[in-house]
Amino acid sequence: MTENPKYQNRIELLQGTLDMLVLQALVRQPMHGYAIAQMIRNRSGEVLTVETGSLYPALHRLERQKWVASEWKLTESKQRAKYYQLTALGREQLTSDHQRWLQLVRAICAVMEPEVQP
Amino acid sequence: MPWRWDRAKQSLTEELQSHLKIAIAERVARGEDPAQARAAALREFGNLPLIEDVTRAHWGGLWLENLLYDARHAFRQLRRSPAFAATAVLTLAFGIGANLGVFQLLYAVLLAELPVSHPEELVVVHAALTPFDRDWAVSYPAYQRLRASSPEAPLLARAVSGPADLELPNRAMSKPSCELVSDNYFSVLGVLPAAGRMFIEADARQWQSEWPAVLRFDFARDTFGSAQQAVGQHMLLNGRSFVVIGVAHQRFLGVTTGYAPDIWLPLALQSTGGFNAGFDSLGPGHDVTLGKPWYNQPTIFWLDLIARIPHGRRAASAAKWDQVFGPDRVLMTEATADQAVRTSLLHTATELVPLSRRGGMRKRFSVPLMLLMALSASIFLVGCLNLANLQLARLNARAQELGVRMALGASHARLLRQIVLEDILIVLVGSASAFVLGRMASSILIRWASSHGSHLTLDLHPSLAFVALGVALMLLSLLSFSILPAVIFMRTTVAQTAGSRAKVSGVAQTARQRWRSNALLIAQVSLSLLLSTMSACFAATLVHWETVDVGMDREHVLSVHVDMEQYRYVGEHRGDLPELYRRMQERLQALPGVRSAAVEMCGGIHCGWNTALYVHGRSDLTNGQVHGQEDHVGPDFFSTIGIPILRGRDFVAADTDAAQHVAIVSRSYARQLFGDADPIGQWVGYEPAPNDHKFLIVGEVADARLNGPEHDAPPMVYMSIDQNPAPVHSIRIRAVGDPRHLSDSVRQALHEVDPTLPIDEIVPFATELNGDLGTEKLLARLAGIYASLTLLLVAIGFYGVMSSRTSRRKNEFGIRLALGATRANIQLLIVGQTARILLAGILPGAILSVLAVHTASHFLYGSVSANSIAILAASLVLALAGSAATFIPARRAAFADPLQSLRSE
Repeated sequence: MTENPKYQNRIELLQGTLDMLVLQALVRQPMHGYAIAQMIRNRSGEVLTVETGSLYPALHRLERQKWVASEWKLTESKQRAKYYQLTALGREQLTSDHQRWLQLVRAICAVMEPEVQP
Repeated sequence: MPWRWDRAKQSLTEELQSHLKIAIAERVARGEDPAQARAAALREFGNLPLIEDVTRAHWGGLWLENLLYDARHAFRQLRRSPAFAATAVLTLAFGIGANLGVFQLLYAVLLAELPVSHPEELVVVHAALTPFDRDWAVSYPAYQRLRASSPEAPLLARAVSGPADLELPNRAMSKPSCELVSDNYFSVLGVLPAAGRMFIEADARQWQSEWPAVLRFDFARDTFGSAQQAVGQHMLLNGRSFVVIGVAHQRFLGVTTGYAPDIWLPLALQSTGGFNAGFDSLGPGHDVTLGKPWYNQPTIFWLDLIARIPHGRRAASAAKWDQVFGPDRVLMTEATADQAVRTSLLHTATELVPLSRRGGMRKRFSVPLMLLMALSASIFLVGCLNLANLQLARLNARAQELGVRMALGASHARLLRQIVLEDILIVLVGSASAFVLGRMASSILIRWASSHGSHLTLDLHPSLAFVALGVALMLLSLLSFSILPAVIFMRTTVAQTAGSRAKVSGVAQTARQRWRSNALLIAQVSLSLLLSTMSACFAATLVHWETVDVGMDREHVLSVHVDMEQYRYVGEHRGDLPELYRRMQERLQALPGVRSAAVEMCGGIHCGWNTALYVHGRSDLTNGQVHGQEDHVGPDFFSTIGIPILRGRDFVAADTDAAQHVAIVSRSYARQLFGDADPIGQWVGYEPAPNDHKFLIVGEVADARLNGPEHDAPPMVYMSIDQNPAPVHSIRIRAVGDPRHLSDSVRQALHEVDPTLPIDEIVPFATELNGDLGTEKLLARLAGIYASLTLLLVAIGFYGVMSSRTSRRKNEFGIRLALGATRANIQLLIVGQTARILLAGILPGAILSVLAVHTASHFLYGSVSANSIAILAASLVLALAGSAATFIPARRAAFADPLQSLRSE
């Protein structure tokens, strides 16, 4: 009933970045929640593990903002699962998120490693 | 909406489950042991319900889900305690309903303005009081002059004409009430038509072949189906043809509160002779001819005047009218020989009284309605106190459950919300019933308050004030019996009892809690003592008036009301009337079971003419001495109605028009006119000398309360109907036993004599007399209902509180019994507690009651001290009710097996 502060904090922490990661994961094809988590984990070389408690709130939040759409389908192993798909709106959002992210990274890099700057 | 929500919730659960399954399947595919794979996946996954909750929080509208959940919870809780729910709903329905019902009446009678634009501009013109009736009526010529003199302040005139015979094709005859109005009546008031048109100047023309009529909305709808359908309909009223030209706006019920005419007719109709209105005049012999048109007679006063003048211009109009009305005042002084009255009449100034601040209804009902409102407020208060007490007891019983829930992490606010939500459900259901009940109550109250034969009609459209009061009472009840007790309880009790079972079931009630519920009970007892006392006083008053000696035999007389104001009885046929009356009397007296029968001009109570008698040879009499009331009766009237003849004789057959005109006076009139001297043989007349010896007084009779049992006996003069032949309105029949058995044979006998005699009704005289006790009946019945309700509430309160207390003290009683206390000791212990509370409540209640009896003394028969006996009686009843309610739990406690009680420790 009452929300657990532990999960609340983590969502707060990853907000934005997690959304971008999820959107990015869906760029090529529709996927279900588990696959998204696995993909992020694999691509990051097991560095980023997305907790279920963060993933699903994020997915539902993205769906509510109409950045992703969902559909029930069968997996290859005939398991019913809810697949998420990027919408046009989501694609735009991803682009702008990505831009902002790059800016941020560049800015942070410039501060942290000034000698690399041309 | 909840359905969609549930589906989404299901879908989320399935989604998370499928995530888990895929994770397990993947681990198994990688070669893990299925059991281990499942455990690992679950570990990795985390707390499933929590994730669901957190995810759902991102849907928005979680508060709604919680609210629905709480509402369901509340509903379940209520279903578990149906007795409490039913008590609470009924208490609120009656408590709020009573207030709404009375308030609606109060609003309609005292507060409501006419439903026209700028009602505050309307004023009643008080030019002069008429000589006998002391009314504010003027003559038609005076009205014409006043109206012509003030084009800037439009002036309307109206006169109540009473019921008329309405004939419609294929319909039984009915008797709608009519009002005669000037052509500008609706335009000055600003009443819009619901259909058709209102009167215009041309409608006032004399002698039309078909007269125009405007109908009241509800009357038009009930008679013709709708306002639109009514327009253009033709009808016969008192034998004349009319066409409906329009229907007034639905909310417009006329200008007199309580009296709503069904049909408005042009004033000019009076000239046709078929429609007469109430009037006053200078008296017989003053150039007054009632049988001729009144429009050119300045000595017949029959019109009420209403004008529309903005506030600032009133003084100027009043001054102008004062001047124009001067000659009429001079004329009016001719009606009296009393010099003081003449002088004061000549010095009267025209007054303009706001229309909204006028009316007999207002005067008659404002104080009773205020009283009823106060009583209704008290019953509401008693109800709330009772519910608060029950609520506290109920929460105490749930203390452990609530404590455990708090220990498990439920928040204060959430628990509070759940408790209050339960009560909101109760309040909603209770208030909905209260609104229905209140509307019903209003119509019942109106019926009770109506006099016999004249039903009150009031505008009962729910006003904004009505709804506001309903909502306010709703919130107040919620606050007092739910929110406050719950907050107090949560603050003090739950924290202490959390988790501790021993404390809850033991003697955990603190002194403070006991004091709280005792205080509530004491307040309830005080208020219900007040209500019971008032009810007893009002009931005693009603019984008194219903049984008081009215100077007549009210138990054995049957009244037949006839309508003989028709062409075949009036005009040149008048001379035949004495013979008709004689035949009726003979035929009726021949009936078995009839002792005697007599005719009377009056058609009920309150109907004697106001008159004046001047004594031959005395010119020093004041108005106060010469004024009295007059009735015309046939032979045997006094023996029939049971008024004893004190001196002289009754009217006899020999008293014909040709013989010496005679009169009989009542004791009080005789004393007024002659002091202690013998009235028999004295000469009197309607006018001062030289016309003061028209009648010879031949008899003196005892006083009788002809104006209703609650009014003093008027000074009466009776004239012989045979010497002044006129249509009668009543035939009185004295029966041997119960007069009601005679109704049919009387009707038949009368129709044998005159097959076309229109009989309006046949009622026992007692019904007629008691029918005048509207106010008394209203107060007595309503107070009676309130008193029984509060007694019930007090009994429920005591039962509830004492039951929960004795069950808490079960162990203690067990120990007491084991140590040698008798069962009587235990019972005494509990009943003693009730007795102390009763005593503490009765004392302030008695003081309240004395004050209330004092305030209401105007409506009560008997002195304050006599009514104080009612306080004693009410206390006794209250004490009995309280003790009886306590006796059940006391017995239960005393007769419980001590071993059983101790074992449960």
